[in-house]
Amino acid sequence: MSSSANACFRAHRPVLSFVWTPHRHASTSSAPKVMHFYQNKQLELYASKSAHRLTLRQLVFFGRSMNAERIIKSANYVRTELPVRIAHRLRDLQALPFVVVTQEEVAKVYELYWSAFEKLRRFPPIATLDENDRFCEFVSSLLDEHATVIPALSLGLSLSSPHLPPEKLDAFMRRMLVSRISRRVLAQHHIALSASLRNGENSRSSGHVGIIHTHLDVRESIEKCVELLTAAPPRVFSPEADGEELAGKLNCPRVIVDGHAGTKFAYIQEHFEYIMFELLKNAMQHRTASTTPLVRATIAAGKDDIQVRISDEGGGLTHSTVKAPSDLFSFSHVRNTTRMENERIGALRTVSASPRGMRATVDEQVTEWKSTDPGKTADMIAHQRIGIGLPMSYIFATYFGGSLELVSLDGWGTDVYLRLPKLGTRLEEIEV
Amino acid sequence: MQLSTLLSFGQPLTSESLLASAAYTLSEIPRRLVRRILALEKLPFIVGTNPFVARTLDTYRSSFAFLAQYPGVKTLEENAFFSTQLEQLVQSHANDIPTMAKGFQECARYMTPSEINGFLDGAIRSRISVRLIAEQHIALSRALESTTFPNTNHYGVIQPNCSPAQMIRSCAAFVSDLCEATLGGTPPIEINGHADAVFAYVPVHLEYILTELLKNAFRATVEQRQQQHGKQASGLYPPVVVTISPPQRDQRSFNQPTFLSMRIRDEGGGVATKNMPHVFSYAFTTAGHRHHDVVDDEMDGGPYAAQHISGGAAVDADESLQQPGQSTLFSEITGKGLQTGVGTIAGLGYGLPMSRLYARYFGGSLDLFSLEGWGTDVFLKLRCLNDAVDIEI
Repeated sequence: MSSSANACFRAHRPVLSFVWTPHRHASTSSAPKVMHFYQNKQLELYASKSAHRLTLRQLVFFGRSMNAERIIKSANYVRTELPVRIAHRLRDLQALPFVVVTQEEVAKVYELYWSAFEKLRRFPPIATLDENDRFCEFVSSLLDEHATVIPALSLGLSLSSPHLPPEKLDAFMRRMLVSRISRRVLAQHHIALSASLRNGENSRSSGHVGIIHTHLDVRESIEKCVELLTAAPPRVFSPEADGEELAGKLNCPRVIVDGHAGTKFAYIQEHFEYIMFELLKNAMQHRTASTTPLVRATIAAGKDDIQVRISDEGGGLTHSTVKAPSDLFSFSHVRNTTRMENERIGALRTVSASPRGMRATVDEQVTEWKSTDPGKTADMIAHQRIGIGLPMSYIFATYFGGSLELVSLDGWGTDVYLRLPKLGTRLEEIEV
Repeated sequence: MQLSTLLSFGQPLTSESLLASAAYTLSEIPRRLVRRILALEKLPFIVGTNPFVARTLDTYRSSFAFLAQYPGVKTLEENAFFSTQLEQLVQSHANDIPTMAKGFQECARYMTPSEINGFLDGAIRSRISVRLIAEQHIALSRALESTTFPNTNHYGVIQPNCSPAQMIRSCAAFVSDLCEATLGGTPPIEINGHADAVFAYVPVHLEYILTELLKNAFRATVEQRQQQHGKQASGLYPPVVVTISPPQRDQRSFNQPTFLSMRIRDEGGGVATKNMPHVFSYAFTTAGHRHHDVVDDEMDGGPYAAQHISGGAAVDADESLQQPGQSTLFSEITGKGLQTGVGTIAGLGYGLPMSRLYARYFGGSLDLFSLEGWGTDVFLKLRCLNDAVDIEI
């Protein structure tokens, strides 16, 4: 046979042939059934379109004066934009090494994304409010389905670290998670706006437009998180305190909030509170019996940004598993060896397997630890040991072009600097 | 050259080791001067014709000639003479930096900011080395003359038990006077953390860095408060807080370098976000420009591009040569800037970049974080020199 015929022959062989490595690979039966090489055409069509990056201001502006016509416009916008963004992620996944995407956890995510893509692109255009209601239900269920993506991806990539250089791994995770946030923002904003319209709510009186709080009081948010954390069971801070009542023996840190007290800005409340919650959780971790450790949260309202600095006296990065503080934001175990600790891996597996997954919100964590249901408690404990609060906070912070930096005064304490744009004019940092 | 080699001449200090130190000094310093001369000669011709740059080149050339032709030092008397000569040589180079600064400012149109920054980084680093070598030899010479215990270990310019807290207090006292005299008020200083920590370092380096950082912090605090409450804002200036963290000995890493860390925190209003990329550029200063936007976005000049014309600058500047938005450093130095008889609290714009160079010299670091509208944190990390196995100088 001629060599070109040979090539044709090879291309028609079945694609699914697994090489056994120590990785847990998707077995043939649950293999990504969607690896149909020739069906990629639809995906490529969507992937070739550009995503439309939005600003916070646009989200607010559009949501301000809602009526039936506008909500339907919004629905169709979301309907056509989401599959484009998912298509980009799928192409990104497809470009990863074969051995990585066939890893069990990553394969799971791939399938979820593919299924979401297919369902979204087939959803018919929306023309009435009823159809919008159905669309909202549909999107809501998709959001629920995807609750396990963060732990699954985190686990899958941790286990795949040998096959991906740290920069590539982190860059990939970043693109995935930022896109995920952006899709959830679009979806949840639309769902919230639909609900407001249905309930006849007026955004001007409530201070909320969709998922955005137009006058978010920074100090109040911080104090809310401090209150929640102060009331949290000790095991939230120290998993070793399982069952042992170290409360009362160790002094809970005192948090002082200073700086520009009256600072308010427009932002997505859930995002801001998640970041504050995670940072304060880390800062409040250090407890001693002898003194009351001090945590200081300083608010600064700059010209274009809001900044919050959280200083603790927890000893800094003394016995460090990382070379530089920024490695704490990395998902790679090359950069941060604690990611491969058995405890972490085990916790990631638990959360990934649980239907509740991980949505990266404050409410999710607080509900878990308030519950007395042993199933939920086990989830909470697992949740605490995942250890991706900092990388996730970094992703949230940079979503609209903000920043998060961590500095250690080795032997004394840590300072974390959060900067978020306050004018709402920065674009989403997703890949176009 | 390794720092350990430099230190070896004092461990122990004997007549022989001192003469060996002299020989080493006579070979090392000229070598470094040559590199500086070559770097200067490599500058664009037009830059080389600038009188201030030319003056610097001359000084280096004559120092090199002097040392290269110096006869060997074979006795302690010869060494005593040599040491005084060395001291004079160091003194003759005292104004190198301001002189070069003036020269480069006038040449801003002929070189890019990164070229100037790169040149100055190299020049200042080399200068630190030359002074270190020279002053180490001078210190050892004095030590041998005055010591009653021969054959003991002397560390020369390195103090094995330098106390940061003590140094902070003395620098703060100096800066406080300066601040009071210049601006009419001064904030208190607070030291916390491990105030009793000590480490091995070169005291003059630490003193320089702390003085510059405290100048920035004090000035910013007073100006910020006065801007908010008027010039009569007396008494209640928020303190400048210095937190000290001692060297950490990690169980796992015996031969790893250890560092002493410090954080200098002020409530001086912080650095505007758009000025942040420029804070470590030579000759960027916000002195006297608190009320205006300091960075003109349209400008793309040299490292001085971020500077505005200060009050008296127009007077002694050649208007035809001056780029828009530049001040003349010379006027800042000679008295039109914020200056008192004691010294300048601000104005050269070299404090931060030079402090960083000093901090990095032995492998440490200096980082700045700011809360715009509130205050600034400077993190200083200095290498402990008692286990100086691998430091290149």
